[in-house]
Amino acid sequence: MKKKWMTLTGTILTAAMIAGCSGNSGGGASEGGTSPGADGGSSGGKPVELTFWGDWGGEGQVQFETMVKAFNESQDRIRVKYVLQQDMITKFLTSATSGGSPDILFWDRWRTSLYAPKNVLHPIDELMTRDGIERDNYFEESLKELTYDDKLYGLPLTVDARALFYNKKMLEDAGLEPPATWEELAEAAKALTKWNGDRLEVAGFSMSDPGLFSMYLQQAGGQMLTEDGKTNFNNEQGLAVLSFWDRLMNQDKVYRIGFEQGLGEGTDAFVTGRLAMHFTGPWMLSTYQKYGSELDFGVVPPPAGPNGDRASVMGGFGLVIPEGSKHKDEAWEFITWWLANKDNAMLWAKTSLNLPGYKPALEDPFFADDPQWQPFLETLEFAKIRPRHPGYSVMEVDGLIPNLELFIQNKQSAEDTLAKSQTQGDKLLKDNEVVK
Amino acid sequence: MSTINKLERHQARTAYLFITPTMLLFIVFTIIPVAMALYLSFTNYDVLSRMDWVGLDNYRRLWGDSLLWLTFRNVLLYAVIFVPLNIVLSFGLGLLVNRVWRGIKLFRTFYYLPTLTSAVAAATVWLWLLHPEFGLVNGLLSYIGITGPAWVAQTETAMLAIVLVTLWQSVGANMIIYLAGLQGVPDHLYESARLDGANRWDMVRYITWPQLRPTTFLVSTMAIIGALQLFDQAFVLTQGGPANVTKTPVYLIYQQGFNQLQMGYASAQAFVLAMAILIFSLINMRVTKAEESVI
Repeated sequence: MKKKWMTLTGTILTAAMIAGCSGNSGGGASEGGTSPGADGGSSGGKPVELTFWGDWGGEGQVQFETMVKAFNESQDRIRVKYVLQQDMITKFLTSATSGGSPDILFWDRWRTSLYAPKNVLHPIDELMTRDGIERDNYFEESLKELTYDDKLYGLPLTVDARALFYNKKMLEDAGLEPPATWEELAEAAKALTKWNGDRLEVAGFSMSDPGLFSMYLQQAGGQMLTEDGKTNFNNEQGLAVLSFWDRLMNQDKVYRIGFEQGLGEGTDAFVTGRLAMHFTGPWMLSTYQKYGSELDFGVVPPPAGPNGDRASVMGGFGLVIPEGSKHKDEAWEFITWWLANKDNAMLWAKTSLNLPGYKPALEDPFFADDPQWQPFLETLEFAKIRPRHPGYSVMEVDGLIPNLELFIQNKQSAEDTLAKSQTQGDKLLKDNEVVK
Repeated sequence: MSTINKLERHQARTAYLFITPTMLLFIVFTIIPVAMALYLSFTNYDVLSRMDWVGLDNYRRLWGDSLLWLTFRNVLLYAVIFVPLNIVLSFGLGLLVNRVWRGIKLFRTFYYLPTLTSAVAAATVWLWLLHPEFGLVNGLLSYIGITGPAWVAQTETAMLAIVLVTLWQSVGANMIIYLAGLQGVPDHLYESARLDGANRWDMVRYITWPQLRPTTFLVSTMAIIGALQLFDQAFVLTQGGPANVTKTPVYLIYQQGFNQLQMGYASAQAFVLAMAILIFSLINMRVTKAEESVI
């Protein structure tokens, strides 16, 4: 009876808290952070049960469950349970408004700029200060991606950025060094490409993903968006990228469109020796390492642009606490146990073979001394996150990339491509900006 | 007299009782959501924090939404190729397998099988078949000296690839519907036609096809609705690319509603799609119900 009453008060308290938080949207501190967990439970009695949602199944689920188990065994006050939600974001949409919200959410960081303005995520700044969690232990860029309106909404779980993977044997056979500049990249790509009549046998370099434009643009010294949230690529830097692509695609013919489409694991063109070099992220390392000596590959940071600019796009996941959680303090304890402790961050890293968001763990010899991880560590030092505009991904997918595809297929000039991308992109950004 | 009335009333009551569960489900899961969506299309609903009445703002925004109209053009183009081919092929297959030959059931099963596969799985396999260098389709083309295109990656062929895959997957089901229709055509019509000296083609043209008009109406209506709501195959095969040529309204509505959290505007887009489907279905009704034959 007493417990029931406590739960009821807890619910009312939480409800009041949520109402309070969503009420004051100003920069002031919200009371959510310092209030004790809604229904205590820290001393004796039954442990507090936390729900942790993620959309990783299969191996990923096993990796999450390893961490959950280790945490549950480390103390007896909190019990975390991992729940696989295939369609997590849609499920979260309904749960955030109608109760049943999880306590911890596996979070693709770029979504923060879209969800934080709706007050469904819990800011953690006060908890950070209270527990003395150092911001310096994380990549500033990754924290920035979890920030909206100067409030931090979570901690980084993984960090990633694309680097250049190359087939060692093919480069050695051709007497080439791994490319460090655009010029070297183009020369190597040309030398490694093999055509047999009108059939492409080996592609020197992959041009399959026009979405990498943002990375190339920064290597050329440009930026995707202006300070005031408009597209910023219809300029000299944008042209530099397109003329580089034109050289690779149409003059040197190092690739054919559709070459890698539909090739899954096992038939992956890089694995089967039909592709010599491509940009991809650390998530492919474990897949490629499975092939052992059959696939002798190396990794280098992305080649620098014409003026020596180096760039890559940082991405990755984080853990956040939904505003609807009834046990925010306990959820925070779980998150800091995992993401602000070197041993546990390493356990996660070794279990999942992901680069952990916690920097001290990256200094571990496991990463720092490994020639295949090390280039990623170097890349992360200069990698930047995508612009934090809620319409950014739509601008890329519906405005920019379709035009780039026309350009790559030789159906639109570089000037038209950039001009149309700008008009369509600016409109999409405007249509999808934050509504106050 | 009164007993008959009583019986009728009793029967009517029982009938209503029987359809009540279905009607309840229909109201709860179809009528109410549709009414709510209509309401939402006049708000700035974002699922999480807002639901204010914005009047016709969403519908005004539709006018300038060139991407939405582009996706409508895409599915119309798709429908123009897909629907007639679908009818011709499934009618043809229906005629072919409407015989009493040994092993004909085996063929019926074969033709029907693709329908049973999941759209996503089938599209994944087709992606492999359509691969420009290693795919079966271009492999066969190369035997006759043709360099096949990068089917799903090129703007010229991407939509054709989707037509191909969706046809392969849907003619089987329509073949069954035609088959059922064919077996309902009374034999005496053919007999009298034969007496009048009609050949095989005449019989198909003047008896089978007109007799199957209700079937064709059903098949074509479903095909039109399906075509305008194209999503899964297009999503797996091309993700709407290249250059937006295979992006469809449903994809856009989903993206606007669930990814961008602009559920109000997405509802308005969905209503335009619903209206388009209604209009094309009505046109189709006029065409198939017309006294003159359609061919």
